[in-house]
Amino acid sequence: MKKLLISILMIASSLSFANVKAVTTLTIIYDLVKNIGKDKVEVDYLCRGNQDPHFLEVMPSYMLKLRNADLVFEIGLDLEKWLPQLIDGSRNNNIQIVDLSQDIEKKEVPSAKMDARYGDVHPYGNPHYYLDPLDVKIMAKEVYDALATQDPENTSYYEKNYNNYVKLLDAKIIEWNNKMAKVKDKPIVFFHASWIYFTDQYGIKVVGFVEPKPGIPPTPSHNADVINLIKKSGAKIIVMENYYSDAAPNQISQITGVKVLKVPVGLFGTEGIDSYFKMMDYIVDQIVSNT
Amino acid sequence: MYIYLIVTFLLFISFSNINAQSNVNPDISLIGTFNSTMDFTKGSPEKGKLNFEMPEMELFVDGYLNPYARATGNIAYEEGEFSVEELYANIVRGLPLDAQIKAGKYLVGFGQLNIVHPHAWVFVGRPLFHQIYFGPEGFNDIGFNFSFILPTETFYTNLDLGIFKGDAIGNSELEEPSQEEIADHRGRSPIFVGRLGTFFSLSDYSNLGIGLDGSYGVHAKMDINSTGDTTSSFTNKSLNYTYVGLDFKYKYRPDDYTALTIQGEGIFNHRDVMRDDNFGINSPVQEIKTIKTYGGFISIDYLFDKTYDFGLKYDLTNGIIGDEPGYNTLSNDDQNSTQGLTAWFGYYPIEHTLAFRLNVGNLFYHYADGTPGDNSTLVTLQMIFSLGPHKAHPF
Repeated sequence: MKKLLISILMIASSLSFANVKAVTTLTIIYDLVKNIGKDKVEVDYLCRGNQDPHFLEVMPSYMLKLRNADLVFEIGLDLEKWLPQLIDGSRNNNIQIVDLSQDIEKKEVPSAKMDARYGDVHPYGNPHYYLDPLDVKIMAKEVYDALATQDPENTSYYEKNYNNYVKLLDAKIIEWNNKMAKVKDKPIVFFHASWIYFTDQYGIKVVGFVEPKPGIPPTPSHNADVINLIKKSGAKIIVMENYYSDAAPNQISQITGVKVLKVPVGLFGTEGIDSYFKMMDYIVDQIVSNT
Repeated sequence: MYIYLIVTFLLFISFSNINAQSNVNPDISLIGTFNSTMDFTKGSPEKGKLNFEMPEMELFVDGYLNPYARATGNIAYEEGEFSVEELYANIVRGLPLDAQIKAGKYLVGFGQLNIVHPHAWVFVGRPLFHQIYFGPEGFNDIGFNFSFILPTETFYTNLDLGIFKGDAIGNSELEEPSQEEIADHRGRSPIFVGRLGTFFSLSDYSNLGIGLDGSYGVHAKMDINSTGDTTSSFTNKSLNYTYVGLDFKYKYRPDDYTALTIQGEGIFNHRDVMRDDNFGINSPVQEIKTIKTYGGFISIDYLFDKTYDFGLKYDLTNGIIGDEPGYNTLSNDDQNSTQGLTAWFGYYPIEHTLAFRLNVGNLFYHYADGTPGDNSTLVTLQMIFSLGPHKAHPF
């Protein structure tokens, strides 16, 4: 009898009592949902912090994650082209898609017809707005709204968590602003054209990109151009996402002496980076200390 | 039987709420394939000559019909002719039991490779057992497929049950199974296909998909003379077949630039076949015999630096590749066998919009009567381009 009771308790403890089941495409959104939903929301993510979110492999295990979800949060702006295929595969007819880009002021929206000759240009604007902490505030508001709509009984609970998170975020924004003020107008080379929101926010001068065009692998002739740009501009660092190969940046580094900073732009892909705050701390500290 | 099936199907879809329309344009993609081959087969008149094959094209049109269903068309241009490679609708949500229904002409889910379009394979050329048991175009058939996700919470399992016309089975023994008079040899009997597939995430970086497949039906109907007396009436007999397949695919992908893929599939063929036994001039005795044959392949592919890959594939199957279709050849052949060894090197400069492959394929023929087989070697240089948003194939 005792064993039976223990078994029942164990089974009961393993059952989920969350009011909302959510899945996020990126881990940065996962962090927001976790902080605002806390124990009322069961949340999982699809793309790890060291995976390129442009090209996530469509796997049945992701479909399983989406199968019972009430909400799926996405960055939007055509970043997660793989998501519709996963949602179809999940057979989930009730899932609500929450596009967090709705209230974001989009940058690099093409003004003319784009095609593949320009590389991987996103037709609705650059989707990497999550690298600007002010845009993350907007994302947090979208998350709060979605959770409150899905689970109206706990609106005040989500609101309290949202306000607490924004308070912490505001404090971190001031901290990051102060640190990044030291590198204002400094020249930096980036690997991929995903930093426009970040560089605009902190007034960084973008010298160029290691990729000749967005999503197009580096070529020897373009590397030579980048080397000339670095020499002319005096850039000291190349900043790149941790899921790209550092072969070309390292070659450039050997010739120019520039330092290659491989930074996480998501969570759980680099040891110790398990929150947006830690991720931004890492990026900011690396850039400030090496520029 | 068909009335029941149709009524069941109509009842099934009547539970869904499918009444929306969309005006949005579908996705259109164009895939081009150019093969240049050189035959190194000993004694071949073509030995050492470079052969530029007619380019092949696939035009995909794909999109949502409404919030519940998608439709796909694939027009192929091969060997100078246009054909409808695939044309189907897929109800992806809104059905009871979270089922999906696929109806039309399409690649049947028997094994993991058959549903992947050949332009997305890492090697050139269809696995030998596909050619023997499904015909040169693989298991591509007309029919209905009902797909269900099973309630295994911690890993993904799906069950597919389908009913098909059976052209692919006819392709394994007839030149033109679509011709009506030949189709009468099989009658109007549909074939049945089932698949139980499961997928395990072994770690953040490695995944395994395994499957069990089955297909059953009548592959031919024949007037059998079992006595040898040509004056007596012949007996019409149905010749049945059963295919049982096993497949697996393991992929280790430590980062976005590197992947190791090991894949294998096998088939077991249990089949009624007609055999002649001449007792004298003009008095053939025909009998039905049950044969058991098999086939399969295993391949390994290593992708590095995101842009290069190389690999090896070993094939083994009953039947002789390239034999004329007949009631003693290909899927009806339990005497002879073919082995294949293929090696390839691939180059994908930019995100699979372009692919170049050098493929070396060797075939080894084994004849039960001791006939010396002319083993063949074919070197293929392939270029594939992919224009448009043609969807990536799932794992």
